[in-house]
Amino acid sequence: MKSAVVVFPGTNCDRDTYEACRFFGWKCDYIRHDETNLQGYNVIFLPGGFSYGDYIRSGRLAKFSPVVAALKDYIKNKCGMTIGICNGFQILCESKLIDGVLTDNINNKFICSEENLIYQNTELTLPIAHKEGRYIAPDNFDKNLIFLKYKNNPNGSDMNIAGLYDKKNKILAMMPHPERAVFKETGNTDGRVIFEFIHKEALC
Amino acid sequence: MKFLIDIKVTLKEGIKDPQGLAAEAVLKNTDIDKTAKIKVGKFFSLILDAKNRKQASEKAVRISEEVLTNPNLEVYEILKVIEA
Repeated sequence: MKSAVVVFPGTNCDRDTYEACRFFGWKCDYIRHDETNLQGYNVIFLPGGFSYGDYIRSGRLAKFSPVVAALKDYIKNKCGMTIGICNGFQILCESKLIDGVLTDNINNKFICSEENLIYQNTELTLPIAHKEGRYIAPDNFDKNLIFLKYKNNPNGSDMNIAGLYDKKNKILAMMPHPERAVFKETGNTDGRVIFEFIHKEALC
Repeated sequence: MKFLIDIKVTLKEGIKDPQGLAAEAVLKNTDIDKTAKIKVGKFFSLILDAKNRKQASEKAVRISEEVLTNPNLEVYEILKVIEA
């Protein structure tokens, strides 16, 4: 299993994601935002944080980066998986790789909390930390794409959506941070199931 | 020729604007106007080179649609295109 963590100017969850990948025994490389070739990886992470200052709107400027152009080629192979976490989710939406859009939380606040989520009919708890995480689904939205749901919907997302899985293109996008809930030292290891899911789906 | 272009970006009709709603709630506590509707948006001022006004306007449309807005979320209005 070979993974890559993309680093944009302003990314700040790259190290957490890298260490989480290593925890599962995966090989992992940091990839710069100006990289043009992503072939050879089973999984590409767009981690959380910021990208290009998130100027204009979160993820907006990152869609023009060389690595996102390379990601569009990578997705065509239908082999490896692409994972967008938090800012990575915003980048995937802005790049139109995931349907729908993310905008300001309904309470207008930056929310940093542990949230109860529904994942495959079970409950788990993962941290969230964002200000623009209210997901707005497109009109003819396919509910089968929902991967994670908030129990209490802190940001006002449509249908309580916290994460989506585009099975066709093997793209997983979520606002919660599973990489911050892998090591027992962080007090929560619920994120491991998400990485185990990725491990199962990414190999081909 | 250089052109000066002003562009206004707001949320699409139907998408809740929490900043606008907060401003409306505050206004209710004043004696200025208790029922005013407020929308919060962004303003962009561009200076760009173009052969003529038509080309400047075309560039402004592309910049608005590809960089300044996400059509799923926002709408734009080009307020003015004038020769600088």
